Amino acid sequence: MSKLQKSAWFNLALITTGSLFAMLCFILAASRIEKGFNYINVILCLLMICIIIPVICIIAKKKSYEVGFDEREKMINQRATTLSLSGLIIGLYLACFIPFVALGGGNIIKVAYLPVIFICTVFTAQLIKSIAVIVQCSMEKDNG
Amino acid sequence: MGSEHLSNQVRRLRFENGQMTQQQLADKVGVTRQTIIAIEAGKYAPSLPLAFKLARTFGVSIEQVFQYDKQET
Repeated sequence: MSKLQKSAWFNLALITTGSLFAMLCFILAASRIEKGFNYINVILCLLMICIIIPVICIIAKKKSYEVGFDEREKMINQRATTLSLSGLIIGLYLACFIPFVALGGGNIIKVAYLPVIFICTVFTAQLIKSIAVIVQCSMEKDNG
Repeated sequence: MGSEHLSNQVRRLRFENGQMTQQQLADKVGVTRQTIIAIEAGKYAPSLPLAFKLARTFGVSIEQVFQYDKQET
């Protein structure tokens, strides 16, 4: 397994764990939905930040690891990043426009829906990137 | 309209240069073995600097390693 594939699997595992934890925090917060300011929600959001920041630090550190990629690996990574950005835009579009179309412009959605959009789009983008890298590598392996 | 095809002699040159392994060649030119495999299979067209590095490793000109064919259809 090449460095690129290892990196993609690591990324996938990291983001899946991070997203599951974030979703768990969110479900806990959402189960206590009340109108107005709530300290428990603040604590849960801070807890989510405590997870997000280390994950960002790990990914940033991994970027320096990616410097060691050769030109083909960088090309695969770049293609996967483009795909994941496309996935991010499509995900955001669907998350925002489906409720608009389904519920109508004059309707109201719960604020609790916003963290779901955030977690799902981040997870979707990273999932697409990791899968794109793994698929491209395995396709080359099959062909070559 | 014509189809473009980049063929190469990397595999042959490797064997002519003391049965060099893909890993040895990869180490010499600073890429991974997977990249050498992709180049040999014609799945990946290397950049110009990498093509020059490969040619210099084998001690031949770049044209002896890579051939560009444009087939008219």
